[in-house]
Amino acid sequence: MLNRTLSPDLKEIDKIDFVKPSIFDITNDVKLYFMKEVPNDTARLDLYFDAGTIKGEHGIASFVNGLLLSGTNSKTSTQINTEIDALGGFFESGISNENSVITIYSLRENLLPILHILKDAIQNLVFHEHEVEELRNDRKQKFKVSMEKVSFIAQRGFQQRLFNQSIYGRVTSESDFDAISTDALKHFFEENYLHGLTKVVVVGNLPQGEIDALIDTLGTWATTTKTPFEKDIFNLKGLTHIVKDGAVQSAIRVGRMLFNKTHEDYNDFLILNTIFGDYFGSRLMSNIREDKGYTYGIGTMVAELHETGYFLIATEVGKDVKDATLKEIKFEMERLHTELVSMEELNLVKNYMLGQLLKSADGPYSMTDLFMSVEPYGLNLDFYNASIDSINRITPERIQLLAKKYLNWSDLTIVSAG
Amino acid sequence: MITFERFKLANGLTVLFHKDVTTPLAVVNTLYDVGARDETEDKTGFAHLFEHLMFGGSVNIPDFDAPLQMAGGESNAFTSNDITNYYNVLPAKNLETALWLESDRMLSLAFTEKSLEVQRNVVIEEFKQRYLNQPYGDVWLELRPLSYRVHPYKWATIGKEIKHIEDARMEDVKAFFRKHYNPSNAILCIAGNFEMNFVKETVEKWYGEIPAGIKPARVLIAEPEQTEFRERIIERAVPTDAFYYAFNMPERRHEGFYMCDVLSDALGRDKSSRLYVSLKKEQKLTTEIGAYILGSMDNGLLVISGKLNEGVTFEMLDKALWKELDILKEHPITDGELARLMIKIRTAKEFQEQGLLNRAMNLCLFELLGDANGINEEHAIYNAIHPSHLQETALRYLHPSNCSLLKVKATPHAE
Repeated sequence: MLNRTLSPDLKEIDKIDFVKPSIFDITNDVKLYFMKEVPNDTARLDLYFDAGTIKGEHGIASFVNGLLLSGTNSKTSTQINTEIDALGGFFESGISNENSVITIYSLRENLLPILHILKDAIQNLVFHEHEVEELRNDRKQKFKVSMEKVSFIAQRGFQQRLFNQSIYGRVTSESDFDAISTDALKHFFEENYLHGLTKVVVVGNLPQGEIDALIDTLGTWATTTKTPFEKDIFNLKGLTHIVKDGAVQSAIRVGRMLFNKTHEDYNDFLILNTIFGDYFGSRLMSNIREDKGYTYGIGTMVAELHETGYFLIATEVGKDVKDATLKEIKFEMERLHTELVSMEELNLVKNYMLGQLLKSADGPYSMTDLFMSVEPYGLNLDFYNASIDSINRITPERIQLLAKKYLNWSDLTIVSAG
Repeated sequence: MITFERFKLANGLTVLFHKDVTTPLAVVNTLYDVGARDETEDKTGFAHLFEHLMFGGSVNIPDFDAPLQMAGGESNAFTSNDITNYYNVLPAKNLETALWLESDRMLSLAFTEKSLEVQRNVVIEEFKQRYLNQPYGDVWLELRPLSYRVHPYKWATIGKEIKHIEDARMEDVKAFFRKHYNPSNAILCIAGNFEMNFVKETVEKWYGEIPAGIKPARVLIAEPEQTEFRERIIERAVPTDAFYYAFNMPERRHEGFYMCDVLSDALGRDKSSRLYVSLKKEQKLTTEIGAYILGSMDNGLLVISGKLNEGVTFEMLDKALWKELDILKEHPITDGELARLMIKIRTAKEFQEQGLLNRAMNLCLFELLGDANGINEEHAIYNAIHPSHLQETALRYLHPSNCSLLKVKATPHAE
């Protein structure tokens, strides 16, 4: 008779194969990263530009990012989009503080033809007035919709207080949309796109000749300057509430400036972060969702910037339990100071994290992303072997020490909206 | 080509095995043939609430997630109007842990009052977060009952109202489990680098003893054919007017399903699509517009939705929209346009099938439709579509008496 109360024997993850992409020079400073080992016909191309939100005021970076395919003197935006669609391409453009990233997904035989369309569209972009006005109008409307969401309002308020006086703390306001001139857009574009390419990533089983052609095509956009990034940013501590009439839930954002992958405590802190709020069985999920039922979800994360990073707790809760939730977050944070994590919980988190790392390294796309998330910091895949070491070696005492060092209620920026 | 093998246990459990030698991970996916359409109208939201309870411990194992996390894995689930799907992703060498956990919750749940009470609250917060506390969040709570008069698609998976979730009792939970959660009502897919013999033995070991149960018969009242245009206007404190045109379309197994899928792409999938180009780019009537199908098992909906530009009335939009639909009915689309739609569909499918989890989920879904190999046959179905089929489909479905229109009228905020 099968004993169903006993777990089957568990096997440990003893090794993870990390595979590095090939690296080619576009210039001395601008590289192309190429992951060829893709067992099917899919391919992806990412172009990184030094054109993130910190590069300009009034949301200009995001504005330019949204206009990249808006037309040339010989093609309309619709013609460009139609040509890309006819090759089965999916075009995405996104923006963060420090980067603007264009991504193309397609079948591998179509990647280079799509790149040629893209190259022409961007090289000869003219910022037609009707396209600029259309996007301005769309963005205004989207912004109004976003300002109806407590999650957006809280995140926006949090960003301002977290990044404080730094340029990372810039947020969009409604007046920004009318503050940008077409000349400013053109200037930003020429400086940060036509001379702003910082790296290229290709995943897909492409012949070497196509990689060479990619390098040739993109070389003229390679950046020749290095943007300095801010390092010393100090979050404004304390609690702020932003009133949103009619909301049935409140959004909460709690966090502080911290560090990035280059810091000696990073890997160990990540384990503390997981225990605290970064998996389904975390302290915060167990208490605030699974015991109290205050929320659909609560999570923590460590986010990184080029020279620094930050820690964040985010949730949306019933509006009548906002204060109770903050109290429980504080309680769970302080419990990490006063009680040692049990070996049982720590072992579970260790195994869970190793399993997640195995998953993050599974397949060419994940593997490339894993590599690209250490590359900006001058690190390589050894970083992940160090993570495994850190997971294998961590002790409850070390967790407690890190909690006392980095997770103190009085150090935190706390913003709620609702 | 996605390869698989299939076997059935004596208790009626259908098992699919998909071998992938390239991955160190395994997926265990379980599809239960139960969704919100199997609820009664006075107890809606139940299939979804139940999905939450499936993580509250089973008859022999007090906690579902912890042992899986201990094995390096993680789990989640989703409920739709048609199905409830549970999945685990974990290191392949610990496959058995997932089978142990999944089989025990198929055998029986712990049914604790605490779990029911907490998950009721969690689901109520989910209801608020996704449907009530978002601009336009309640649109589907309004559009479904406008499009469906009798079929249970008239309520959303989350439920008709919060009260139904508040009122859920333990006896309801137990009855629901007994009726729907048994091997003959489930399809299990195991994906990873294993041998078929091992999969068979291990599945037999953990699932073989689960009593068969009876596959519940599904008798749903078919939605009668719509005969006249329906319209409803709701006023909400949102920044902009929004519109949702919902056209009835065929069930999942019908070839018309695929035609409508391609039609919706032609109308509003990409920035080269007809409505995007004409209504947004050229006529500047909308700031957003798109078209898509719901993908339901029973008769579904093809939806065209978007937001009005400032100064544009619903009437202006309406006139321009029907004009575009008429063009689609009067003139077959060109081979070039069709080729463009097809290459996008093919590319999207290649990317979807990249992921092990997607493959396992889709195999189960196609098995539910009748044969898991359907996953490999879709491409040929799409390829056989001819411009004249699309024209006939547009004529058949894209007319006012087959359409329900929901308008969301923006009202100023109460100060």
